[in-house]
Amino acid sequence: MDIIRKERALSIVTKLKSYSYRRLLLSLIILGGFGFVRIPIEMNTEKMLKEQGFRDWSPSMSAREQLTQASFVGSIGGFRSLIASIYDLRAHQAFRDKDWASVEKFRGVTTSLQPRFAKHWDLAAWDLAWNAYAYYRNKSEWAEDGVESWQMKNIMMPRYLEKGLEFAKQGAEWVPESYRLSMVVADIYSQKYNDPELASQWYLKSSQADDAPPYVFRAYATHLARCEGKEEEAYEVTSSLYRSTRFGTRALTLTVRRDMERLEDHIALSAANEMSLEQLESAALSNGSTYLDYAKLGMHLLEVKKDLKVALAVYREIVNDKKAPLFYSRKLLMFLARNPANQEQAYEALKKLLKRSPEIFRRQDLIEFTKLETSLGASKNNREK
Amino acid sequence: MMAEKIIPAVQINNLTKIFPVPFRKEKVIAVEGLSLRVEAGEVYGLIGPNGSGKSTTMKVLLGLISATSGSSAIFGLSSSETASRGSVGFLPENPYFYKYLTGAETLSFYGKLCGLSRRKIKERTSELLSLVDLENARDRRLGGYSKGMLQRIGLAQALVGDPRLVVLDEPTAGVDPAGSRKIRDLIIELKQRGISVILSSHLLEQVQEVCDRVGIIFQGKLIKEGKLEELIEIESQTEIILEHADPKILDQINKLVQASEETRLLRSGKPKTTLERLFLKETRAESEDVRKDA
Amino acid sequence: MSADKVKSVKEDLVLQHKLFSLSRVWAIAFNTFTQLVRMKVFYFMLIFSVLIIGANFLFLNFTFEQELKILKDVSFGAMTLFASIFSIVGTALLIPKDIEDRTLYTILTKPVPRFEYLVGKLIGIIFLVAVSLVLMSFLFFAVLYFRQHGILAEEIKMIRGGATDAQKEYLKETIFAQGVRPELILGVLAIFLKAAVAAGVALVVSTFASSTLFTIIVSLVVYFIGHAQSLALEYYFPEGQMHGALQRFIAGIVAVVFPNLQMFNIFDGIITGQSISTTLMFRLIGLTGFYLTIYSMISWILFAKKEL
Repeated sequence: MDIIRKERALSIVTKLKSYSYRRLLLSLIILGGFGFVRIPIEMNTEKMLKEQGFRDWSPSMSAREQLTQASFVGSIGGFRSLIASIYDLRAHQAFRDKDWASVEKFRGVTTSLQPRFAKHWDLAAWDLAWNAYAYYRNKSEWAEDGVESWQMKNIMMPRYLEKGLEFAKQGAEWVPESYRLSMVVADIYSQKYNDPELASQWYLKSSQADDAPPYVFRAYATHLARCEGKEEEAYEVTSSLYRSTRFGTRALTLTVRRDMERLEDHIALSAANEMSLEQLESAALSNGSTYLDYAKLGMHLLEVKKDLKVALAVYREIVNDKKAPLFYSRKLLMFLARNPANQEQAYEALKKLLKRSPEIFRRQDLIEFTKLETSLGASKNNREK
Repeated sequence: MMAEKIIPAVQINNLTKIFPVPFRKEKVIAVEGLSLRVEAGEVYGLIGPNGSGKSTTMKVLLGLISATSGSSAIFGLSSSETASRGSVGFLPENPYFYKYLTGAETLSFYGKLCGLSRRKIKERTSELLSLVDLENARDRRLGGYSKGMLQRIGLAQALVGDPRLVVLDEPTAGVDPAGSRKIRDLIIELKQRGISVILSSHLLEQVQEVCDRVGIIFQGKLIKEGKLEELIEIESQTEIILEHADPKILDQINKLVQASEETRLLRSGKPKTTLERLFLKETRAESEDVRKDA
Repeated sequence: MSADKVKSVKEDLVLQHKLFSLSRVWAIAFNTFTQLVRMKVFYFMLIFSVLIIGANFLFLNFTFEQELKILKDVSFGAMTLFASIFSIVGTALLIPKDIEDRTLYTILTKPVPRFEYLVGKLIGIIFLVAVSLVLMSFLFFAVLYFRQHGILAEEIKMIRGGATDAQKEYLKETIFAQGVRPELILGVLAIFLKAAVAAGVALVVSTFASSTLFTIIVSLVVYFIGHAQSLALEYYFPEGQMHGALQRFIAGIVAVVFPNLQMFNIFDGIITGQSISTTLMFRLIGLTGFYLTIYSMISWILFAKKEL
């Protein structure tokens, strides 16, 4: 095919060329037009996606720095969740290798890729505030070098604790509908920082989520009860827990009982110290008084007036009140046992009570009971001798 | 009486096709000023060497390529209209069909493209498969067909829509003599049914047997066209074939010729058959012997 | 032949010819479907995907949230990969192959308009991707269903002293929330929509490209750029940071010319519990239809007068 005739063919060819270019031009125009029409629709769609929580991650430069190239491309390409899972596995491996820097890095990745997946934050906080923390604590205890030990204790441990806390807090912001992360924050404040006030705040927050299990609210109550100066508030919460049937009888755990007793004791004691006998008497005898008013009176008689006999009478009244918690029976018997004349009687009654309801005996009560037992046994022996 | 306007099966007027060579100023002129006409019911052969423009002409006719200038029509409808292909069957050169379809499925597919009903497709499939002698390969995938079989299924596919014009591009290229014979017989049968055929070939001998009219195309131009008989007649010569010729009669003829002024005896002797006919004769005899022995 | 008889041939042809025939389109679509199914490549990819889904059973040492999440992630990853790659590669094969084998000639010399040919091919491959996704998601849901029940049983066993009904309910709720949910189906649908758009892109490219390989490469490039769309849009309509005019212009061009595939990536959100509104879903479906229509149109324009 090598016939060439430039002149004649030129005009025809220009026509041909222009025709195919026209097609290309038309296609580009249509493509462009379509582009302009769809861009506002797509932007609107993107906005809707964002509102519904589908755009929690954006392929920004900082994201690019976090990830390997393949991961970055994959994240854009629709494999974000899978990549997050892979980094999850990598973090787990790093944890096994005790490579805490990598653990932190990888947990940072999983949480940025899928911030609405609570488990990512949960594991991040767990790995740092508990696992890394414990690791460095061990190291500091076993370190041969004093400097190293100091370093572990004062730099590494707090650092990871803080980081873990940060993760938990951020997570709580991202996933407010779940109880989990607020609870983790509270746990950290409670177990690591020994700050019952902050812990109680976060436990409260956590308990308010729809999926919170019952024990979270109890944790709130308990921690509130440990806060200095918040006894009134704590008592309200604890007594409502104590009396509520919402959580079933299982909720009446040891902690609640103990807190109840401690708070009532505290309230009774402060009232006993602040108010006069007359005030307390009139309060106890007025209409609508509760057993607590009696307890305040009883405490005053016991601690201030040092009048055991009258106090006992008051406590008997309390025990007769059906609304009073069971531990008042134990209290009464313990007070009775102070009088050597009543000791044996009291001891027998206590023994029965212990068998029936061991949960109302605190540790110190058990110790006292044993002491009582021993002294009674000794005196018995003496008598027999 | 009004002159009846008979619409020819194919009418190509002054067709020119120029291909631009990409990135170069020069162009390739594939076809230049070609005009031809195929009447309804005739077999037209377009002959010429490879690269002379035969395929290009056919492609323009079939709307696969557009003409640079000039017109082309099938039964009066311009080739650029899809409707013009409503009654056309095309067998391209060295065709491949879908390898994964069986013979029957292939015909069914093309039948659907022609708009045939399911019942009609079934009918046509059986009919055509027996026509092209592929019934026993009906359910075999085309991937396992030989070249000759592919050519035949190609022909069947071209005929599936009951077309009134059949276009064949090198129908016997690369086919063995027996297959080639079959194809030529088929073409003759088509003609007998009144179907117009336009075929292109560079195998000149084979074209000779089937075509009514012939057009010789060379370097993009139609350099000669006309009835086959007229074209290949060697005008100045006359042929007389005698059976059981008596030497005396031969002598007399010789004398008559010598007596004439212009007439000259060029050759006498035994006429030759063609190698092809010999081959077919021998192979048919072979297969008959085989059958007799069996 | 008399004038009347002969003239009627032309009339016949004109009358008979249907301007648009659904059965022709369907014949081509179904043929495409069969072609791809009977190609061995398809089987390999399907088996590959099945293997991936089955390989989920390797990750048993983690919390149940992680386990179920990984199962979903890997399965969806396999489905996305299969659907996208197959729709691009499959479409890229179709037209160049037909041209190379000259089969295209036999099709277009029947009264088949070129537009029907293109649409038929596109429908065929989209249909194939749909069927494969349906099969894969059946498998996926079955595996997920059995796994979540298995996990529930394990967790119940682990509670010391036997689990109360309340605890069982609680476990069931939390575990199943990570398991089979109807929203996951929407995730699969989004994968399908994205693959359909990818097929459309490949169709356009294949009409002017000369080889399968070239088509695949160009389509893949467009596919990747399509995912970075949101980056481009952010550049073009910056919220805060102002970029240079040239950058904005280029970003604008990118946003206009390339498809926005990022918006189909809803699975990442679905897996962490987000729900997608019906409006949004319909919008995505509508946009896909819009894309496919425009791409078919453009393919037709490029293909209509293509010299074959």
